[in-house]
Amino acid sequence: MRNFLIRRVLYAIPTLIGISIITFAIARLAPGDPIRLFTFGIRDFTQEDYLRLLHAYGLDKPIPLQYVDWVTNALRLNFGDSLIYHREAGAMILERLPNTLQLAITALVLQLVIGVPLGVVAALRRGTWVDGAIRVFGVAGHAIPAFWLGQILIILFAISLRWLPSQGMLTVGKDQMDILDRLKHILLPAFVLALVGIANYSRILRTETLDVLGQDFIRTAHAKGLRPRVVVYVHALRNSLIPVVTALGGILATLVGGALVIEQVFSWPGIGQFTFQAAIAKDYPIVQAGVMIASILLVVSYLLRDITYAIVDPRIKVS
Amino acid sequence: MLVAVSCSSSSTPGASASAGATETAQQGGRVIEATTTDISTIQPVLSNDTASARIIGLIYDSLLLQDPQNGEPKARLASYTQSSDGLTYTFEINAKANWSDGKPVVGDDVVTAIKAVGKSKKTVRKSNYQDVQGFKEYSAGTATTLPGVKVDPANPKKVSITMTKVSCPAILDLNTIQPLPTQVFGKYVTDASKDEIDTAAENTAPTVFSGPFKFTEWRKGDQVILDKNPTYWQGAPNIDQYVYKVVANSTAITNGLKTGEITFGTIQAKDLADMQTVDTVKITKYPALGYTFIGWNTASPTAIGLADKRVRQALAYGIDMDQVIKAVVFGEAVKNVSHHVTVQWAYPSGVQLEQYKYDKAKALSLLKDAGWTPGSDGILQNAAGKKFNLTISTNSGNTERETLATVAAEQYKQLGINAKAAPEAFAGLVTKLTTGDSTLEATIIGWSLGGDVDPYSIWHSSNIPDPAKKVEGFGFTYFKDPAMDKAIEEGRNPSNGDCSIAARKKQYETFNKILNENQPYNFGYENNVLAVSQKTLQNFTPAPYQTVYNIQQWWIKK
Repeated sequence: MRNFLIRRVLYAIPTLIGISIITFAIARLAPGDPIRLFTFGIRDFTQEDYLRLLHAYGLDKPIPLQYVDWVTNALRLNFGDSLIYHREAGAMILERLPNTLQLAITALVLQLVIGVPLGVVAALRRGTWVDGAIRVFGVAGHAIPAFWLGQILIILFAISLRWLPSQGMLTVGKDQMDILDRLKHILLPAFVLALVGIANYSRILRTETLDVLGQDFIRTAHAKGLRPRVVVYVHALRNSLIPVVTALGGILATLVGGALVIEQVFSWPGIGQFTFQAAIAKDYPIVQAGVMIASILLVVSYLLRDITYAIVDPRIKVS
Repeated sequence: MLVAVSCSSSSTPGASASAGATETAQQGGRVIEATTTDISTIQPVLSNDTASARIIGLIYDSLLLQDPQNGEPKARLASYTQSSDGLTYTFEINAKANWSDGKPVVGDDVVTAIKAVGKSKKTVRKSNYQDVQGFKEYSAGTATTLPGVKVDPANPKKVSITMTKVSCPAILDLNTIQPLPTQVFGKYVTDASKDEIDTAAENTAPTVFSGPFKFTEWRKGDQVILDKNPTYWQGAPNIDQYVYKVVANSTAITNGLKTGEITFGTIQAKDLADMQTVDTVKITKYPALGYTFIGWNTASPTAIGLADKRVRQALAYGIDMDQVIKAVVFGEAVKNVSHHVTVQWAYPSGVQLEQYKYDKAKALSLLKDAGWTPGSDGILQNAAGKKFNLTISTNSGNTERETLATVAAEQYKQLGINAKAAPEAFAGLVTKLTTGDSTLEATIIGWSLGGDVDPYSIWHSSNIPDPAKKVEGFGFTYFKDPAMDKAIEEGRNPSNGDCSIAARKKQYETFNKILNENQPYNFGYENNVLAVSQKTLQNFTPAPYQTVYNIQQWWIKK
């Protein structure tokens, strides 16, 4: 296992270098320059001022040299000062990362807690209206755009019924440790973010459970006189879960990516919304820090997938 | 100019405000303002965005306050006088003005602020102080003193600032940066300091204040919390707390206003009809301090027709701007035909400007006079057979401007012009504009006109970009006129030293008349600002130049 982990971490290095080069190149070669952008329209702003600011942010150097500077600093965990906020970009991303992770992990839990039982129930009730309803829900979960559903849920639960807040993480003025208030705020965004995953897992679980239920070892278990509940939840489910674990690979990164839309709809102060706005404003250090940190998350989540995979299915050896 | 429009069937226009004025103010409560962008700093020297300016303005008082309705400078933290030669401004800080730590606000705090601008490498505000005697040398690091800024030894609350030349915008330029507490920021502007002011810890967590509120917390990306300053020299505010809440977009503001999660915010025209059905809010409309326009590249090598004044006039007559306003901003704007807008004192109310009322026949006649007649395919062409093609660029992602570009292109097609809309990323567009990229033919963007009314940076011929000489500027229409240059110069640096509003207004009437006739822009429209507040918020009376200018008088009706 240790060699496996070392090998995977080593594999990640060229991947991250590649991502850093691509991100850097895309950001710098796109039309426009950030200094002109954020000084546009300032009265009496001079050419001298422009050149001073270019120099202050190191943007007057050739792009390859800028990249070398950036990598050198990034290795020391300094992603450069934001052009807009005048603060270290990595720290600003990390300030918001817990918010995004909180949303993503809650969505992941919802996906598993709702999606897995739905799939099993659909399989056990195959051909009934319950199965039909779950399948329709699965299709709808894939088809409904998150930004639309989010807005509809806000109109229903926040504006019309006033049961839940429409935005943010916490009611203004509430204690930051008010768990109930936090739960109220996270419910809608986490559900919308989880919806596609719920649909996915219910579909995968339904198919896999049906497949496993038809296999010899299940018939043997029944023949041995085991209770149906034990057969389903101990023997069938464990085998059905293997594709779910596969699908979990990269799920955290997917959720973090998907959170961009959800953060916009529910004004959730996470890295998705922040990085998106930074990209529009051409705030290079924040974009690069955001992409690199998200990439590291992706690598870590794949690693966790492989480890979990080995735990769930002992036949698979990490070597 | 302020128009309050009630949205409730049970209340009349301005009812809440008038009730607030007559009832006794109740103490306590919290005001939550919505913003779509987080603040970037709490350091005036580094601020370059409206969000940061809001918070800074609430914790640090400025020397002067622009009149909420017309922008004229008025006394606030200080009163001021100007010397007879027009070169020296003397500010006398109010005797009652003090910092939250009990120390008086003095002239040295003004010096600290100006020195901080000089020391900073990341400020965009140096140009505001460029005419202060000795500032350029101080900023360049070749001098350690500012001879143009002197505190009266006999009265520490009196500070005089001497300019190198008479400059009418100077009084508001000098007001750009609020006095900074020397007891906090003095250590960043010593003779030995370099640019430490740019990274000062107090830039994100200030500790001493002169405004009606004190900084409490900045939850990054989420909210800024201010608590009332009980020792504020003009009297403590009625409300206890002010929260600047970051939301994702205008839809979130609308939602928050409906649910009551937000106390006040600005909505878009598309949401107005919906908001008018909510009976818990008050809607206040007022003209924006700026305009949206179509700029013509009069030196375009491809759309050569734009060089001809008659063609540009035809493009003004040939677009039904009133109809466009209905289609693009749901009628929430007024047509504009000059650079200065109606709420500015420089608005040319004393001259007759052509209004360019929609007249297709006149537009076609002007085009014909200019040599553009329909070809066999109906597209206008000149004597040389060159077709009149026109690409209207604007910044993608701005739905309003994209719609305007599309609607304008459709209307110009009716004149026989082969027009098309071309949205592109704002960053790229801005670079093209300021560097004088000749591929741009027509561009839709907008100007925000806060501060002084001086139009030098946009319209003086010295600000026309020249790619060959690497000269940049905002004069991207390439239009110039010696008489217009003269009027701009006299309005900015008058040869007789007269910076009175009457004298400057006269110059700007000439300036606007020339622009109006020559049409380097189609001056488009002035949007309405749609400020929405909960009816419980009393004395909320936003105006074009100021929103929170009277925040001490606000109170929440329980």
